[in-house]
Amino acid sequence: MQVSSKEKFWLTAPITFFLLVMLGFPLLLDLIYSVSEVTFENLLAPRLQGFENYFETLQDPTYWDALAFSLKFGLTASLVQLFLALFLAIYLEPLLARHPWLMAVLMAPMMVAPALIGLMYRLILHEFVGVIPYYLWEWVGDSPAFLGTENAFLTVVTIEILQWTPFALLILYTAYRSIPSHLREAARMDGANSLQLLMLVELPYMMPVILLTFFIRFIDSFRVFDNIYVLVGSGAGGTSTSLSIYIYKAFFRGGNIGQAVAASVLLFLAALLLIALLERFSRRMETT
Amino acid sequence: MSMLFRWLIFGFAALLFNFPLLSTLLTSLKSEGEIVSNPSIIIQSPTLANYVKIFEMADRFDILHFLWNSLVISALGAFFALLLAFPAAYVIVRTGFGRNWLLPFVLNLRALPLIIFAIPLYMMFQAVGLLDTLLGLALIMCIINLPLTLALLSSTLRNIPEELDDAARIDGASTISIILRIILPLSVAAIASSSVLGFVYAWNEFLFGLMLTTKSATPITVGASFFFSASGGGVKWGVASAVIMLSLLPPLIVGLLFYRSIGSSLTGGAVKG
Repeated sequence: MQVSSKEKFWLTAPITFFLLVMLGFPLLLDLIYSVSEVTFENLLAPRLQGFENYFETLQDPTYWDALAFSLKFGLTASLVQLFLALFLAIYLEPLLARHPWLMAVLMAPMMVAPALIGLMYRLILHEFVGVIPYYLWEWVGDSPAFLGTENAFLTVVTIEILQWTPFALLILYTAYRSIPSHLREAARMDGANSLQLLMLVELPYMMPVILLTFFIRFIDSFRVFDNIYVLVGSGAGGTSTSLSIYIYKAFFRGGNIGQAVAASVLLFLAALLLIALLERFSRRMETT
Repeated sequence: MSMLFRWLIFGFAALLFNFPLLSTLLTSLKSEGEIVSNPSIIIQSPTLANYVKIFEMADRFDILHFLWNSLVISALGAFFALLLAFPAAYVIVRTGFGRNWLLPFVLNLRALPLIIFAIPLYMMFQAVGLLDTLLGLALIMCIINLPLTLALLSSTLRNIPEELDDAARIDGASTISIILRIILPLSVAAIASSSVLGFVYAWNEFLFGLMLTTKSATPITVGASFFFSASGGGVKWGVASAVIMLSLLPPLIVGLLFYRSIGSSLTGGAVKG
């Protein structure tokens, strides 16, 4: 190898330095502030005080509500997206293979900012000028309060699912298309019918990608912020406070820096755990 | 017959997924009076008045300023990520240096909710004067874009035969000139698709735009949400819809123009990340 070690260093130094400054140092600050008594006045000289902030966060029922909301939101959204996308990918494959541009039509929502989608639904669901309440009144004679306490979760999770199913669809469609044709032929030779082919050959072959899609969609939905924030804020009585919104509000609205930072560190630990699981999982996939 | 059903299901899915876009487009073409009297999907008298009105209210809501901010932030954000990732990808692929720490670290950033770093970044930006600047936000977009950019570049570089490097080296080329003269021209496709994706991601970002800007560097996603609270009294739904349509157009156009490469890069990046 003829790239000298000096060159190796200098070519990777910029990205390493950037990551240290933009992520490493902030993480260090997170850790320090989380064990300090800190206000906007003494930012530069926080007073160490032990794990008080963590205790306060862990005793805050709003924190647990936010965690529960994010978990429920992430799981619901990712599972529905996965099944919907899997169905569409497999059922529409003959059509999409013949007319590839149709995929562009399905992909369009992925190119739009979730915040803007949230704003659109403010109009669409508006009780007087919104198109959905209008037709519900016309056809059913009744329209629910979509953003009220009872329905807020269902509303925002539906919005998330409708925007991001295309993402899962795209990945699963590609995976479905890349199944080697000899596998299908061999199964047909053995007399497998379509259902057996799907359950015993195609789905098992796609399983690593299916699980990966689930992970990606779960992570993205779990950290949801934009669409919920512009649509409902934290919702009636905090019913739609995700963990991201909790941290944002604790810091900007409550000025509760210590607690916001402690919640950030806890989220970091949870994310590390998930990443470790993912690593182990993908390593096992590579060896099998 | 079965194809007919597929067309039906496709049409239904396409309508369902794109419903907010279509509905907002329709609303933006209705007059303010018609919006109140007729929320249905039929337009009685289509008009472009709402789009004209946006530009008449530039003193209170300067959409061109927000669009310009987003353009600069997204372009710089995609460019910075390429600038940092490209030399690193070369070293990782050719020498294995960083394969076990740098590469997995960056790829795993995809799974890390960046709000974890938001509060300290806010404080740091405040300390060094990056708060409410285009450069500051572009640096954040660079973090967001790095995982996919590095994944795409390293998988592309892996497919460039090493013999090309060796031949150039025998001719006395330095590492830098190999990177610039041989590797760079051969990675144009990957550079293009990471730029497109980076641009789209950065344009659509909202959280950091909300937290780290107040006025001068506000991106359009945040600016558009200001419109809803700033229009005073009732929201002007027609103008609001027109604002939303203009805000989503640039990444939508770019994304749809390059949908093929986005499809394959996104799946490639996702599967590797």
